[in-house]
Amino acid sequence: MADFLRQVCLIAVTLAAYLGIRRLYLRYNHPLLNVVALSAALVIGVLVACDIPYTAYAPAKDTMTIFLGPATVALAVPLYRYRHLLRRQAIAIIASVAAGSLLAMFAAGFVAKRGGLPRDVVVSILPKGVSIPFAVEIAHLYHGIPALSAAFVVATGTLGSLFGGWLLTRLGIGHPMARGLALGTVSHAQGTATALMEGEQQGAMAGLAMILAGIVTAGFAPLAVWLLGLG
Amino acid sequence: MGVSKRDRVMQIVTCLGQLGLLWGIYFACNTLVTMTGLPIPANVLGIVVLFSCLCLGVIKMEQVGRVADFLLRHLVFFFIPVAVGLMEWGDVFYKFGLILLAAIVISSIAPFLVVGFLTLRLQRKP
Repeated sequence: MADFLRQVCLIAVTLAAYLGIRRLYLRYNHPLLNVVALSAALVIGVLVACDIPYTAYAPAKDTMTIFLGPATVALAVPLYRYRHLLRRQAIAIIASVAAGSLLAMFAAGFVAKRGGLPRDVVVSILPKGVSIPFAVEIAHLYHGIPALSAAFVVATGTLGSLFGGWLLTRLGIGHPMARGLALGTVSHAQGTATALMEGEQQGAMAGLAMILAGIVTAGFAPLAVWLLGLG
Repeated sequence: MGVSKRDRVMQIVTCLGQLGLLWGIYFACNTLVTMTGLPIPANVLGIVVLFSCLCLGVIKMEQVGRVADFLLRHLVFFFIPVAVGLMEWGDVFYKFGLILLAAIVISSIAPFLVVGFLTLRLQRKP
């Protein structure tokens, strides 16, 4: 019973953090008011302050993410609404996303290896730009650490959704298609969720980029492993 | 008198039905992936399946649109508990922090640039 009550409280804390920060974001629309990063930081702060370990939060997390699968499937809806644009811009979309996700994988692996990180950590960082199921599979296949890959994926997603929009604006990239594709390629579903807050076209493009990036990264991971000498 | 009670109930039933449909697609894909060991995430397969169904007219926009829009508007919420999980990895990030941060930051900024500018360059003008 006490356990059940604690779950309810933890879910309430997460929901309150979300609603509060979302409200601030909608009101001030400042890029650093990132909903995921700030809410997660708040929740972590509460957990640390109350001396609650992550293992106690995990069941609440599982309850909250029950609808993450169906919610991701719902991305087919904006994709369908923008199907004409997708067909028309197919070449630009595929070429940009492929180049971007290859660069993401190689740059991460190269810096990690040059920095002298252990082999299994370097392998685990390769799929950091794709959604967790893809990343876990890739890490597993090339003897990395799947759980660590998942952590890198989340770190990349959080960082990308925190600074991505701001960076693109600073670079002068205001085009909704370009913004959506960049956010989806770099920061997978978290970037897509952020892109959706900007607009539906950005969201549709990010969703598509996320799928393509997953396929490209999985397809070229053996090449990266070989070129970086991780075999 | 605004919306009648009956309309309200009907709306809720419709939304639950739409949610059930999305959940059913995800569940079916998840089962298929687990059973066959396909190297594709279930949610990605689910997007492809729903997109195909919409294109083929098997599922109509009115049958999923409302709930889909609601879920997507709040998609970021689901990533809050996921991001909280990063606290478990404090040690690794503490130990290799700078290099990991450099690796993640560089490998994020570079593709942001490339995807952004390449898209602008390659897109077909109207």
